[in-house]
Amino acid sequence: MMGSSGFTGRDVISARDFSRVDFERIFKLVDGLEAAPGSMDGVLGGKLAALLFFEPSTRTYSSFQIAAERLGMKVTGFAGPTGSSVTKGETLHDTVRMFEGYGADVFIIRHPKMGAARFAAEITDTPVVSAGDGSREHPTQAMLDLHAIRKAFGKVDGLKVGMLGDLRYGRTSSSLAYALSNFDVEMTFIAPDSLQMRSEVSHFLSRRGVKPKVETALKNVVGSLDVLYVTRIQKERIPDPTEFEKVKGLYEVNLETLRDAKPTLKVMHPLPRVDELSTEVDETDHAHYFVQAAGGLPLRMVILNLVLGGAS
Amino acid sequence: MTEEREGEHLLVSRIEDGTVIDHIPDWKAETVTRVLGLDRKAMMKANASVAMLQNVASRQLGRKDIVKVDRWHVKEGDADILCLVFPSITVNYITNGSVAKYSPSVPDLIHGRIRCPELSCISNAEREPVTSEFVTLKADRMLQCAYCDTLLGFDSVPEHVRT
Repeated sequence: MMGSSGFTGRDVISARDFSRVDFERIFKLVDGLEAAPGSMDGVLGGKLAALLFFEPSTRTYSSFQIAAERLGMKVTGFAGPTGSSVTKGETLHDTVRMFEGYGADVFIIRHPKMGAARFAAEITDTPVVSAGDGSREHPTQAMLDLHAIRKAFGKVDGLKVGMLGDLRYGRTSSSLAYALSNFDVEMTFIAPDSLQMRSEVSHFLSRRGVKPKVETALKNVVGSLDVLYVTRIQKERIPDPTEFEKVKGLYEVNLETLRDAKPTLKVMHPLPRVDELSTEVDETDHAHYFVQAAGGLPLRMVILNLVLGGAS
Repeated sequence: MTEEREGEHLLVSRIEDGTVIDHIPDWKAETVTRVLGLDRKAMMKANASVAMLQNVASRQLGRKDIVKVDRWHVKEGDADILCLVFPSITVNYITNGSVAKYSPSVPDLIHGRIRCPELSCISNAEREPVTSEFVTLKADRMLQCAYCDTLLGFDSVPEHVRT
């Protein structure tokens, strides 16, 4: 049984706040849970999780909800602004204070504003787990992404990871880049110039001595990659519609674009997908996204259990 | 300081109470007044006056600007923010004719005075009781928003100062 000191009461706001040792510890616990799926059931009985989703979500909300319930927690909150007091104009601040008064033992928060999770953590002493804040970060997604990579290759070091699509506004790619910076990984950012990684991410990586390659077309690098992390380019992010039509094809992943890929390449995607990842890839050995998504539940169980100081 | 005295003598009389911001890079006096919030409304309210001396000869800078604020003591914290943009500035506080020098320094943290350039940042959210906070990355001459991580170069600070 591994103790949880160092994690108890900790906020999960940025993947930057976690070291390689932290990640390895989390993955060991997830491995243990996957090997013995019922081993954590009910360990947080009597605790209350407040899921405050100021932005609609299906899979992240569900996986946190199921994770909390499997741990024996009671769950309260809302899955989106519709029908909640948020539509009446209630602030994040007041909502957190209110659920704190109801006895929440952990807050799991998704919010459209960047930095909302950090602000929430200032409001309350109760641990805050970010479930995504605007375009900034989605730290538990990065943890499960990293775990999925490790599962596929048995390691993270030495791999070549390409991140494709909307890296500027995609919160999962920035968190993954932060998390990967703890490992000896060659990162390549593949995106049109206007959707390249935000400067603060590149700045952080550079301070860590990590120098990702920057590419504008997948075909230039697809043959060298071990992992291709695909994200969706949203039409509304590109002001010129003709420009969108032009770039769209360059970032679509299908059997044709993967023709030169290594047979061992794993394609990942935080889901949901639209047109950027063809369903024809699903039946190939490249498809790793459903394995990746399935890892969300045990990973979130482990995180909640660590943060709440439960036995593991 | 002969040149400066000459400049002052030519243009503005000595002040008995107020602030003199000296060693401002040439033609940047207006930026200084903007960063310090020395606008018409504030000056009217305080019954204060502002004099901008521009293109004054200087041994140190070649040419420089000076801002004199009569009957107004600039906050030290504001002078420190100004120092991000113009590291050469010096500040003299004058009280009953006596001069006290203040050496502005780059602060480690800046609360409330700078608006985050990222519109989607929680610190720009309407009605949330949140105060902007920036961490100074001195070696890179940048500020970083403590909430959304957005970077802001020191030189861009004047465009984002709250007045």
